[in-house]
Amino acid sequence: MMFYARVLEITLLYTIFVIWIYPLTGLTGLFSLGQGAFIVLGAYTAAISYLKFGFNPVIAIIFAVLLGIAVGALIGLPTLRLRKDYFLLITFGFSEMMRGLLLWTAQLTGGAMGIAGIPKYVRLPTISISVLVILLFMSNLKKTRFGKNCIAIKDDELAASAIGINVFSHKMKVFMLSAAVSAYAGALYAFNIMFIEPNLFNWIESAKLIIIVFVGGLNSLTGAFLTSVIYYTFGEVFRFANVWRDVILGFIVILVILFREKGLFGNWEFSITKIFRFLIHRLPTSKEGK
Amino acid sequence: MEVLKVDSISKNFGGVQAVKDYSMIQNDNIITGIIGPNGAGKTTIFNLISGVQQLSSGKVFFNGNNITKNSSFERTRMGISRTFQNIRLFNNLNVIDNLKVAYGFKTEYNFWQQMINSGKVRRVEKEVHEFAMSYLTDFGLEKYKNYKPDSLAYGLRRRLEFARALIVNPKLVLLDEPAAGLNPQEIHDLIDLISRIQEEQKLSIILVEHHMELVMKICTRIHVLDFGQKIAEGKPEEIRKNEKVLQAYLGDEV
Amino acid sequence: MNMDFILQQILNGVSLGGVYALEAVGFGIIFNILKFSNFSHGAVLTICAYIGFFISTHIVSQMIPALVITAVLGGFIAVLLEKLVFRPIRIKKRPLTYFFVTSITVMMIVQKTFSALWGRYYFPYPEMMKSAVTSFGELVVSKIYLMMLAITAIVLLGLTIFLKKTKMGIAIRAASSDSWAPALMGVDTDFIISLTFFIAGILAGITGFFLGMTYTVTPFIGELMLKGIIAAIIGGMGSLGGGVIAGILLGITESIIVAKVGASVTPILIYLSIFVLLLVRPQGISGKLYAVKA
Repeated sequence: MMFYARVLEITLLYTIFVIWIYPLTGLTGLFSLGQGAFIVLGAYTAAISYLKFGFNPVIAIIFAVLLGIAVGALIGLPTLRLRKDYFLLITFGFSEMMRGLLLWTAQLTGGAMGIAGIPKYVRLPTISISVLVILLFMSNLKKTRFGKNCIAIKDDELAASAIGINVFSHKMKVFMLSAAVSAYAGALYAFNIMFIEPNLFNWIESAKLIIIVFVGGLNSLTGAFLTSVIYYTFGEVFRFANVWRDVILGFIVILVILFREKGLFGNWEFSITKIFRFLIHRLPTSKEGK
Repeated sequence: MEVLKVDSISKNFGGVQAVKDYSMIQNDNIITGIIGPNGAGKTTIFNLISGVQQLSSGKVFFNGNNITKNSSFERTRMGISRTFQNIRLFNNLNVIDNLKVAYGFKTEYNFWQQMINSGKVRRVEKEVHEFAMSYLTDFGLEKYKNYKPDSLAYGLRRRLEFARALIVNPKLVLLDEPAAGLNPQEIHDLIDLISRIQEEQKLSIILVEHHMELVMKICTRIHVLDFGQKIAEGKPEEIRKNEKVLQAYLGDEV
Repeated sequence: MNMDFILQQILNGVSLGGVYALEAVGFGIIFNILKFSNFSHGAVLTICAYIGFFISTHIVSQMIPALVITAVLGGFIAVLLEKLVFRPIRIKKRPLTYFFVTSITVMMIVQKTFSALWGRYYFPYPEMMKSAVTSFGELVVSKIYLMMLAITAIVLLGLTIFLKKTKMGIAIRAASSDSWAPALMGVDTDFIISLTFFIAGILAGITGFFLGMTYTVTPFIGELMLKGIIAAIIGGMGSLGGGVIAGILLGITESIIVAKVGASVTPILIYLSIFVLLLVRPQGISGKLYAVKA
């Protein structure tokens, strides 16, 4: 039972890692290979501000998120006005820079040895609530005017600006949002796994997160969520197949791209009301209430 | 009243002069047509007026303000709308949302008000929805409101793009080849539609078009371009008789 | 800082920069024609680093023949990849992002496969001329570096002549410009794209071999492609010449910073300068800026 609780914990934690992709790539059509660096940034900021500066864990997590947003703004400023390719490649460079920075500031970050001995402050309840809140936030975002503007930008940037949408400002906001989610996920990671090191999330891991979402379908938040849950549960349960897991995933992605353009879930979305209706039907307590 | 003033604009693409010293003055409540052979720089002029591309030299004034440095979305917010030669709709949004996102900048509420779906947002959104529906009905698209644009027939997509350009109540509309790819019946309907809307809203319209019948019928003034330069300007009947135009353009067709 | 020190770093930097230049061209030539960031270039590079190891230890131990075989195989691998995955995507008219996601997936598959199979082993290339050095006065230069520099120069010169003088080369350049003209020139588009992948594959093969020779072969060797990408950005995306100049400049700068300040700060300084460059001059050295077409 402990094992399954652990699997659930890890799976949900990784699911938060995946969710940033939805606003950035799914809604707005931007690709970032640097999101792993924001996760690392969040993890280190939280761990260092707790261990070295003695902040309360909650403050440490908030601090991590704020720093993530600030760095996101800094990177977005020169790159988001340019063609999407520049953004992609610069975020790729950012993840390498992050690693260099961590190795260089070894006195603070422990260099290649990483930071051990972080207390376990974050457990399953915190993680599950975070997943739920972030999912609700994102699904709400999709329905707002802002979200629809983002979809317009994804479909046709030029036409979007020709109908009066401020493309750059939308991209900045979305990028800062996804940086915040990533940094938050990183901070949770640090307080859950209790050990962090510079290589825990390199660019290929960031790429893998995008790939996972592609299998589920870029337009479906539900798809992104379910695919990541399946992928990470599979990985934790079948540890022996771990080395080949990503190779299998890769082949599945190529097949999906070739034969099922919109991903496994297409535009299908699990609606909140449907979920609640479903829960109310299943939960014994609410049956008694009727 | 003068709406748009284009003051000798030029555009280079890596040594190729796409538009050279082009000037025009556009008053309100008229339709101007720009004609010319393929590659004469007609679409480039639209891109420069709407701010999609940056011009190499020259100035653009709108309602007396210098908008040369303004970006595309700012010009749209000031009141310049456009359509594209190769229809550019948002295929992941359904038909009515295509109109609603275009109307978006007219509504003023921030990100957080949207996220909590405040009473104000709901009230305004309801109005926007009704307004968008009235446009769809006006353009004969109400049946398709929940369709994705790429599932519509070509003529309907053109009409939707036209509606999207008009819903923000612009002062100047740029139509890039509105008749391209339409059959004769659809062109006939389009002529009626443009004339009707123009009269109703007292719009100022500039259009680029190859379909001569349409241009001659609805335009009050015509500009003729060749190799990025204006070679003639005048009323339709003057253009019809112009020697240079016959040589450069109508010459190969007649 | 004495003169000899600077000269020494420039010499090291130029041969290192030559490799970056080759990467930038291999990356850029595909970007120009299909307009996507081709990460599978790194996959071909990785495969070639392993192939180069196998050939030079088991088949021929001379550098030049081993390099040529590796390069040609690299070309064929790239074409195979194009036919198997990129062409179907192109025929099905998928959006550009699908090319990118596929290319990065290919990179991931290759990296993870090699990690799973041989990740724990260590593959040193045969010594060849690794230890041999030539000295010019105070300067000491490893012969292998000079060799690499010479080969890079020959390859780039050959490629330039091919692109400027031959019918197929001109067709590739025409396809790279915004107006897609090869169809008008009576050249088969599919063939031009395959040819471009073949050239990129050859460049990946050479780079893979060089990198394998200078460092050791690991599944992560393909990530060194990043330097080529940076060179392509600094040079101005879409300009091959700009990429070459930027690659060499990057190599020199890197050598000097590594020698003067230390290896760990190098990436930080380099990326910081790129952010600044993009703010000040987004069009890169060549001054070509891609705009979205209306």
